[in-house]
Amino acid sequence: MSLENPFQDPLRFERRVPECAMVIFGANGDLTKRKLLPALYRLAYERRLDAGFAVLGISRTAMSDDEFREKMLASVKEFLEDSPFDADLWAAFAQGIFYMSGNFDDAALYPALDARLKEIEAARHTGGNVLFYLSAQPSQYIPIAQGLAKGSVGKGGSGWRRIVIEKPFGHDLASAQTLSTELHSAFEESEVYRIDHYLGKETVQNILALRFGNGIFEPLWNRRYVNHVQITAAESIGVEGRGSYYQEAGALRDMIQNHLSQVMATIAMEPSATFRPDSVRDERSKLLRSIRVMKPDEVLQNTVSGQYGPAHIGGEDVPGFRQEQGVKPDAQTDTYAAVTFFVDNWRWAGVPFYLRSGKRLPKRVSEIAVQFNSAPLAIFNGDETITAPNLMILRIQPEEGISLKFLSKRPGSGMTLRPVSMDFNYGSSFGERSPSAYETLLLDAIIGDATLYTRQDMVEASWKVVDAVQHVWDDTKFEFPNYAAGTWGPKAADEMLARRGHVWRQP
Amino acid sequence: MATASGTIAPDKILSDMADLWVTLGKQGDGDAGVLRACSMTLIVAAEESDDPQAIGETLAALMPEHPSRAIVIRFRAGDQRSLEARVFSQCWMPFGQRRQICCEQIEITASDASLPDLPPVVLPLTVPDLPVILWCRSPRLFHLPAFSELAAIAQKVVLDSAAFGDAAAALGDMSGTVASGRSIADLSWTRLTRWRELIAQIFENRAQLAKLPMVSDILIAYRAASTPATAFYLAAWLIDGLEKIGAHARVEFRSDTGEQSGRLSLVQLSAEGSLDAIASIALADGPAAEVKTGGLVSKALLPALTDCTLMREELAIPGRDPSFERALAAAARLALS
Repeated sequence: MSLENPFQDPLRFERRVPECAMVIFGANGDLTKRKLLPALYRLAYERRLDAGFAVLGISRTAMSDDEFREKMLASVKEFLEDSPFDADLWAAFAQGIFYMSGNFDDAALYPALDARLKEIEAARHTGGNVLFYLSAQPSQYIPIAQGLAKGSVGKGGSGWRRIVIEKPFGHDLASAQTLSTELHSAFEESEVYRIDHYLGKETVQNILALRFGNGIFEPLWNRRYVNHVQITAAESIGVEGRGSYYQEAGALRDMIQNHLSQVMATIAMEPSATFRPDSVRDERSKLLRSIRVMKPDEVLQNTVSGQYGPAHIGGEDVPGFRQEQGVKPDAQTDTYAAVTFFVDNWRWAGVPFYLRSGKRLPKRVSEIAVQFNSAPLAIFNGDETITAPNLMILRIQPEEGISLKFLSKRPGSGMTLRPVSMDFNYGSSFGERSPSAYETLLLDAIIGDATLYTRQDMVEASWKVVDAVQHVWDDTKFEFPNYAAGTWGPKAADEMLARRGHVWRQP
Repeated sequence: MATASGTIAPDKILSDMADLWVTLGKQGDGDAGVLRACSMTLIVAAEESDDPQAIGETLAALMPEHPSRAIVIRFRAGDQRSLEARVFSQCWMPFGQRRQICCEQIEITASDASLPDLPPVVLPLTVPDLPVILWCRSPRLFHLPAFSELAAIAQKVVLDSAAFGDAAAALGDMSGTVASGRSIADLSWTRLTRWRELIAQIFENRAQLAKLPMVSDILIAYRAASTPATAFYLAAWLIDGLEKIGAHARVEFRSDTGEQSGRLSLVQLSAEGSLDAIASIALADGPAAEVKTGGLVSKALLPALTDCTLMREELAIPGRDPSFERALAAAARLALS
């Protein structure tokens, strides 16, 4: 019988964290510098990692361990948020940071990696547990998976092996399936962690708490009471030097296929029987499979593709997408996408789910607005607000929180109603700093909790829905640009909602 | 703000609080107004000599995370029955928000003699349907005969055995209180959370966990002339954990020289006849502790904790804490043996 740690105290301690080494492919890239190392340092700061926790960075650039440590030190100092930097702590943490250079296509890299991991395991007591993190270009995913599959490095002996990959998980259904097949040549599906950092955000997790931890909301959470749902992910910035990548992706693939579909699945899924990873993911997956796949002749009625044009904002000239560096002057890329989805199940039949995402919109905001049906009878005559519907707003960023809007009597002798808002703000209601999405998700992967990670059947289900739209868009020549930078997107998006008597909420 | 003298009418205080919210609402910025937040009633029992500014600052720092109706009762020695009260608010503006968030605070000044009069005053002032926590900042008050009636209003009474002087007697008293069915918390135990978590984390490593049954000696050092309650708690908790896996260890307490901060300075788990400890955590000057385990040396931050940090943790646990209660009973036996 295996020995259990007798010192755990779940009431006061955070979750148990096993010993492990983390291998980062693409360790010289932006993600490692901006997100991964600051998140790992922060976890060490919070005493959340094993004393022997090790990071092995790999990229093509030749560097010594010390040079890599110096680089990571500068990154942590620059990108660490909400935490002081402690030199002593870093010095100890940095002892566990290692580096090796190599080309991911080179078969010789993987035996060398295996040998290096064995050295690290001996020195740091990482117990043979290895978390591979693919922070490399998506085109490198398959060569890395193939490299890990060939030798012994991808196979755990006494410990476990897990792999974390960043989106995009393919660029359509077929490529997602190919990627999955390659990953499965080295890893079981249960060992593959497809990261979607939206799911790591506190508010997205709080959707589960709100829906399934309270008794009052769930009875209203269906077609009888919900009129429609709007999910918005707006960015005020443009493509920021990623023009050449972005023109191959677009908003539909870049945001709606993954982040927004996952958020929608979390909002609309059935309650899971338990809070175990596969129970929750089964329900998310079932919901994604229930989204109606549009027929080609339905696509242009229920979707809007947009691309921003130049504008003058705040005294500054802002280029249009086609004027961005690396973008073709006749690019047909969607920098804005809005879709109307319907969920074909008993709970949601007939309720529109409007999803939109775009670049160069007026502000950076991500939120979910659940609009409830208005009161069935207007008994308070003479007030224009009497039909204002109840709204529940779940803000994902910035200022994570929840607001409920309802009508209240204005003080005074008359019976005049006014909308009021009841707000719950994460930052103010719980003064504790919220962990970043990467802290949450990295810790989950080390612990082996895949609840907030995307499974292959979920990826395929959302690609099926998105591919149906993308194929029609690919065959359509749009009159781009069709919205000016700094506006809420094309007029056609308003018209899409107007056809059902709805309007976009202005976040 | 309202003041009553000699006696207190709870209805008057509640009415003053209602007026306070009207005033705050009028002071708000246009439609933004103020947001009232409350997750519990926090009663603070303090001596009149206790620094009011320090209490106020601690409560202000607690409010964003544990928005509460705070009832601060300041006691002064005296045979004459006298009670006074005033109400005011603690507000803060969350970053990036237009709306202020406010909590209510009631301050009561009472003589020792009027302690029996307090429960009927305090009870109607507690917020319905939410937990009531009593933080007793003075051992003298805890020992007053009528204190138990005030304590009965609360689901949990928070004490700090470090203020009691004699750790063994304090642990004995508290253990007796828990045995009588009352829920209490001790900030000396709360001070140990980071140490305990670090020890638990060390043994999440399977190689280290395999060595745990070999532990035969526990050394706990502290910067104090006599053994503090934290040392007894830690020893009791370690012994209990080791016994769960069939290991039995001897405990040695050691008083370190130097600044007598009362803090722990070392915990070391060793095996019989082995030169190297299986695990040790040593705190030198500053907040960084040196953690030695399996030949590895790492650092972990164990800063001295303020009342606010300790209370923040305790307020997050409004119910009973079985680990604490088990450790308290064992620590009391150890201290009194």
